[in-house]
Amino acid sequence: MRVLVVEDSPRLQRSLGTALRKSGYAVDVAGDGEEGQWLAESHDYDVIILDIMLPKRDGLTVLANLRQKGRETHVMLLTARDTVPDRVRGLRAGADDYLVKPFVLEELLARVEALCRRAYGSKLSVITVDDLEIDTLGRRVRRGGRGVELTAREYLLIEYLARRRGQVVSRSEIEEHIYDGQVDPMSNVVDSAICSLRKKLAEFGESPLIHTRRGLGYVLDEMPAGAVAP
Amino acid sequence: MRSIRGQLTRNLLGAFFVLLGGALAALYFTARDELIEQFDDALQAKALAISSLVFWRDNAMRLDTGDQFFRSFSKEERRDYFEIWGDDGKPLRRSDSLWGADLPLAEKPGGKLRIRDLRLPNGRPARVLAVKFSPDQLGGDRRDRLPKVELGLAVASDSEPLEEALTELLGIGTACGVVLYGATIWLVTRVLRRGLLPLGQLGEQATHINADSLTTRFPTEDLPAELLPIAARLNELLARLEISFERERRFSADVAHELRTPLAELRSMAECALKWPESRDPAADQETLAIAAQMQAMVASLLALVRGDQGQIVTQIVPLDLAGLAREIWRPLAARAVERGLLVNWVSTPANIQGDPALLRSILGNLLENAVEYALAGSVVDILVEQDGSGVRFRIRNPTENLTPEDVAKMFDRFWRKEEARSGGKHFGLGLSLARMFAGAMGWTLTAAMDEQRRLEFTLAGPVALTA
Repeated sequence: MRVLVVEDSPRLQRSLGTALRKSGYAVDVAGDGEEGQWLAESHDYDVIILDIMLPKRDGLTVLANLRQKGRETHVMLLTARDTVPDRVRGLRAGADDYLVKPFVLEELLARVEALCRRAYGSKLSVITVDDLEIDTLGRRVRRGGRGVELTAREYLLIEYLARRRGQVVSRSEIEEHIYDGQVDPMSNVVDSAICSLRKKLAEFGESPLIHTRRGLGYVLDEMPAGAVAP
Repeated sequence: MRSIRGQLTRNLLGAFFVLLGGALAALYFTARDELIEQFDDALQAKALAISSLVFWRDNAMRLDTGDQFFRSFSKEERRDYFEIWGDDGKPLRRSDSLWGADLPLAEKPGGKLRIRDLRLPNGRPARVLAVKFSPDQLGGDRRDRLPKVELGLAVASDSEPLEEALTELLGIGTACGVVLYGATIWLVTRVLRRGLLPLGQLGEQATHINADSLTTRFPTEDLPAELLPIAARLNELLARLEISFERERRFSADVAHELRTPLAELRSMAECALKWPESRDPAADQETLAIAAQMQAMVASLLALVRGDQGQIVTQIVPLDLAGLAREIWRPLAARAVERGLLVNWVSTPANIQGDPALLRSILGNLLENAVEYALAGSVVDILVEQDGSGVRFRIRNPTENLTPEDVAKMFDRFWRKEEARSGGKHFGLGLSLARMFAGAMGWTLTAAMDEQRRLEFTLAGPVALTA
């Protein structure tokens, strides 16, 4: 899951970035409204955390511009403005959530997680594919009833694939959602991660769950017709 | 609870009751006295008539009662009564209407005419006149030599018709009084209710005013002249309260707002450090200190504002050189001005003034820092210190990037910043309002204006030193 934080306070940028990365999100940060809008339009984020009072362009204008351009990324407004009219204005401008500063970090993470679930049309916190179970709240993966030890990045990858179960997910989409802007797009980091994930899943079950669609990408599902097993 | 209407009603009705009672009583007693006087006059006329009809001849009294005049003294009519006594007090003659009984006088007639009330032998009320008189003596030529005879005469008239008339008069008077008083109660109540209606409406409107309805104003159209000044003063008071409440509300909201971001920074940093201790930022302590210093500076500014609002700024006015002070404050800012490519044009002469050095340092520091920070990069900043007969002026002028003339009007508002973003952490938007407050505390003025070339100019003006 990839999150964009648009916040002008450098200290909040750092602590939010740390908290989100530690929770397994790929995070990009922008310090003003113009940069935030440019990033939001250039990448396919799962969630955008957007301050309202920003230099150069305020958050509500950024939000309105994104919605005007058809961007449906889930946006959570994070602001010091706490009055009911402020909240109403923010939500009516197209925000999906509204959190007032100062906030509890756990609550912010839970809200980001809920927005991620909504991004893929699911309200369940446990995703099941064949004998694979992914607990998105506990961030645990089990196969055949046994726990699978994954790195944070591997967990993000399998959660992303599982949320898009049955769909072909391209490498660029995986890069967009799992890796932040610091990853070299020419590297084979996605292929390596898929390979590592397959090996770990294979230790707990025989049937392959991650299938390659040559030239298109990967699919997580029970053995689909026409898929090529690795 | 005292009520103006109730009190007025009570007082008016009480006063009217006394006046009406007095008037009716006076009317009654005047009429009564008049009637009794007429009655007594008639009684005297009857007594005079009887005495003139009495004669004395041969030691005996003669009275001819066959006259029409004596019909009312007859047994049949019994409206009038008389009795005549001789010198020895023995009755000589009485009217038929007495049926042989004596008039029950408390004392026999004396030399002086007396009229008083009496209860007749038949039990009826009467008024009686008693007097002594000397009848004419019939005796031819010897009349002058005859001894003088004095007789007692009492004439009474039945006074029951008089008493009935008086009772009727009293009844009519009382009935009129009751009707008049009832009408007065109705009239006074109605008039007072209508007359005091605007006062009641004013009070009713006032009861609905609270902290949430300070936009309410009392309507002054059709208001009586007596209440107009009250409503006008209340409206002025409400307007001032509204402005004051609004400023207070906005100020509280702004303070809360300003504190939220540093609090959020502190909280998120602390939560991150507790949740992921291995990822603790080595610079976190410095950051925490910086946030604390920022909040401390804000609290100091807020306290200064509160003290200023309460008129508690203590000044120590001393003579000093304004130009020298400004140059001293500028020195540490010069490097930053060079960094931003600003060209500073100083035009100043020594200006002897009287002011508080600490407050002036704060004001000049704020103006010079603002110029260095917000002047258009690479532009010219003009700093002028002028002195003439009218006073001394410190002026600082620089081109700006994105300010409008409308912004200039708001620059001294608390927490005002062109950019709403609070990212700087150093500027709270209180500096200019504090500077103006400090200037005011010294009796100086601080104003801002924008010229046609969109150059922003601040002018700090004050008096010259008396010793200059």
